Amino acid sequence: MLLSVPGAAAAADPARPRIELKLRPRVCTLSEEETACTTTVHAQWRSSRNESLCLLIVDQPHIRRCWENHAQGVYSVEVSFSDDLVVELRDAERDNVLASQAIAVIRQALQLRHKRRPPWSIFN
Amino acid sequence: MNLTFRTVMSLLTMAAAVSPLPAVAQSACTAPSQDCVVVGDLSVSLSFGAGTRTNPVRGRSDIPLFVIPQVSYYGKRFFLESLEPGVTLYESDANTFNLIATPGYDRVFFSRSDLQNVIVSNFSDNVSGNPPPPLVDQSFPVGRRHTTYLAGPEWLFRYRDLIGQLNALYEVTGRHQGYEVRAAVSAPLIQSKQSLVISGGWTWKSAATVDYYYGVNNLYKPDAAFNPFIKLSYALPLSERWTLTAFVHYEYLDDAIVDSPIVSDREVITAFAGFNFKLL
Repeated sequence: MLLSVPGAAAAADPARPRIELKLRPRVCTLSEEETACTTTVHAQWRSSRNESLCLLIVDQPHIRRCWENHAQGVYSVEVSFSDDLVVELRDAERDNVLASQAIAVIRQALQLRHKRRPPWSIFN
Repeated sequence: MNLTFRTVMSLLTMAAAVSPLPAVAQSACTAPSQDCVVVGDLSVSLSFGAGTRTNPVRGRSDIPLFVIPQVSYYGKRFFLESLEPGVTLYESDANTFNLIATPGYDRVFFSRSDLQNVIVSNFSDNVSGNPPPPLVDQSFPVGRRHTTYLAGPEWLFRYRDLIGQLNALYEVTGRHQGYEVRAAVSAPLIQSKQSLVISGGWTWKSAATVDYYYGVNNLYKPDAAFNPFIKLSYALPLSERWTLTAFVHYEYLDDAIVDSPIVSDREVITAFAGFNFKLL
């Protein structure tokens, strides 16, 4: 499974309490015909103290949701993406990453077989 | 040699001569190609062009080829390659073991309605122009040859550029209960955007098989036959759907067949050149 970026805090300040970030769905599977996932992403975060932070999605600058002095928050947004979708919580003032999670994009691999070519047949 | 055969041979020779690219080794299936198909995909195509298959049966005309339909489907186990269904028992990059069913090819010389003659547009039972010469002073009926299917195991092996295949077949449609063993080895002479493949091999037919097609009651009872053949196949993709295609197939018939009073030629030449259009 390609669940990439580790969850939990990525804060530079070691004394800072851990911020938990959960995403749904965890993966998006593309069939052979599909080129992108279009789905509603549900994000939920929780901290042991009040935080001022923003949730944003890498490479989707139009998506940004901020909280002022909250210990938890939820956010849902419909997103279309073709590569792994990285969601980050960033400090509202310093802009450093407090936590991040990713939704992995899995493409169904083509299964291939050798083709028969019987030379006796007129069809080959 | 007729005009079509010469044309096809010229095309194949020119293709081999002008190509600066050497043959490359075949490898495991890593991407869809002419030799690697996507499991679950149905492929349907039509080849339009001109060709002929000579008919060794006395008094029967050669078989013109104008349109050749091709259907191909490969599931995880089951497959259909035009008129040949089968089940794969084992497959690796080097070896494949199948159980296949395949039509008896000799019927095409006797019946316009044979499924392998869907390509035929103007097939007559008599030689146009001069009538067949009389056979001694004896006449005899040439009975109807039914469609037959043979079934049995097939082994395919791939070694470097070579692809080998061996079929051991038994007639299962209750017409003659004969056997056939078919063997062939194919190698690419050119394998770049265009491909030129040479194949050589043989077909062994049991006496019962040969008798069903070429035997004559109370007059000729043949032995088993061993027919070697060689084939050249050329393909040049022109677009996603169109491919320039040509082949020539030469088969040398065994004495057991040629000695039959209903056979007048020792060779069967099948040649075709045209364009293949991929429908699906």
